[in-house]
Amino acid sequence: MTDRDTLPPDDEADALAAEYVLGVLAMDERMAVEARLRNDATFAARVAAWEARLSGMNDEFPELPPPDLLPRIEARLFPVAPRRRVGWGWLGGLALAGSVAVAILVGRPAEPVLRATLTAPETALIFEAEVARDGMLTLARVAGAEAEPGRDYQLWAIGAAGVPKPLGLVEGAEVTLAAAVAAGETLAVSLEPDGGSTTGAPTGPVLVTGVLTDG
Amino acid sequence: MSDPVADLLRQVATEDRAAFRALYAATSAKLFGTLTRILGTRSEAEDAVQEVYTKVWLNARRFDPGRGAGMTWLIAIARNHAIDRIRSRPDARPSDDEDALDAVADTRPGVESRLVAMGETQRLVDCFAELEPDRARAIRGAYLDGQSYQALADRSGVPVNTMRTWLRRALIALRECVDR
Repeated sequence: MTDRDTLPPDDEADALAAEYVLGVLAMDERMAVEARLRNDATFAARVAAWEARLSGMNDEFPELPPPDLLPRIEARLFPVAPRRRVGWGWLGGLALAGSVAVAILVGRPAEPVLRATLTAPETALIFEAEVARDGMLTLARVAGAEAEPGRDYQLWAIGAAGVPKPLGLVEGAEVTLAAAVAAGETLAVSLEPDGGSTTGAPTGPVLVTGVLTDG
Repeated sequence: MSDPVADLLRQVATEDRAAFRALYAATSAKLFGTLTRILGTRSEAEDAVQEVYTKVWLNARRFDPGRGAGMTWLIAIARNHAIDRIRSRPDARPSDDEDALDAVADTRPGVESRLVAMGETQRLVDCFAELEPDRARAIRGAYLDGQSYQALADRSGVPVNTMRTWLRRALIALRECVDR
């Protein structure tokens, strides 16, 4: 944008923080700011200061009681089935029930057609999955550590039949795999021996799951 | 200063599900009102409020009471979520659903006197009064209704770059006033 360099550098950063808090930026600019927020504590403090400065307008947002959505929120966050190291029977059942763990959906510009966030309440591990129109699935580890030495993470898809099908090993922080998957299917990451399961079915514990939803 | 929402958030950060339920009971009307106003439809706000509380549960340990009140933090999460949603719409314009506008009609942007005259709110009102009226209106339209630079520029009949320059200078002036 022109004229942006008319502000001193300090004001420049502060104006960007203010623009982010106000919400006037376009989506690509918002995503760039969000990336900076994660890595730049000084900038994050600027954003927090602007949130406080502008909070005087919050009184103008109305109080509007929603329908009771708490049961649905809790069903997402706290699946009733046991979560770890209990084999795979429960996962098929959950896939049939069509609701597993958490899928935070933030619509982003057109590109991905399906998305899922793979997580579980008691692990720091979080993966974000995006499936592009051409069927390529990108899985990024956005939180948590890589698999311990001698082990690999492996990605699975569980459809309506409840049978896990292997999609591939998850090596490094991000992988892209060809995957025939559809909305409503559950993605799961299990911990397997080095090189992955040799049986065609998961052998290790399920660490995180998420449901694919239209992106 | 007592901040019951901050107290609940600290408990939620320890994975206290009862505190999470209490937090929902205490704050969901405000967050749903915020989401409905920015998103424009109840049905979209119902989806969004579920996603927002999911984020709150997963991120509660990142709440820092030293940086602001609990409710301010929650409203920031709700506003950011709503704005991400509207900026991601194919037409990237706010919706004009009539029912939703009716539902929140009594708080549509109006004269500055609608602001409750107390504390931080009063300070902000006083500082808005020091800005040129159209700049203050643009800041309020962005914050309360999720208007983008493009929408603000269209409304004022100026190019986007001009609106951006105006608004950035107005924000710096507002900062000087509020922090004074």
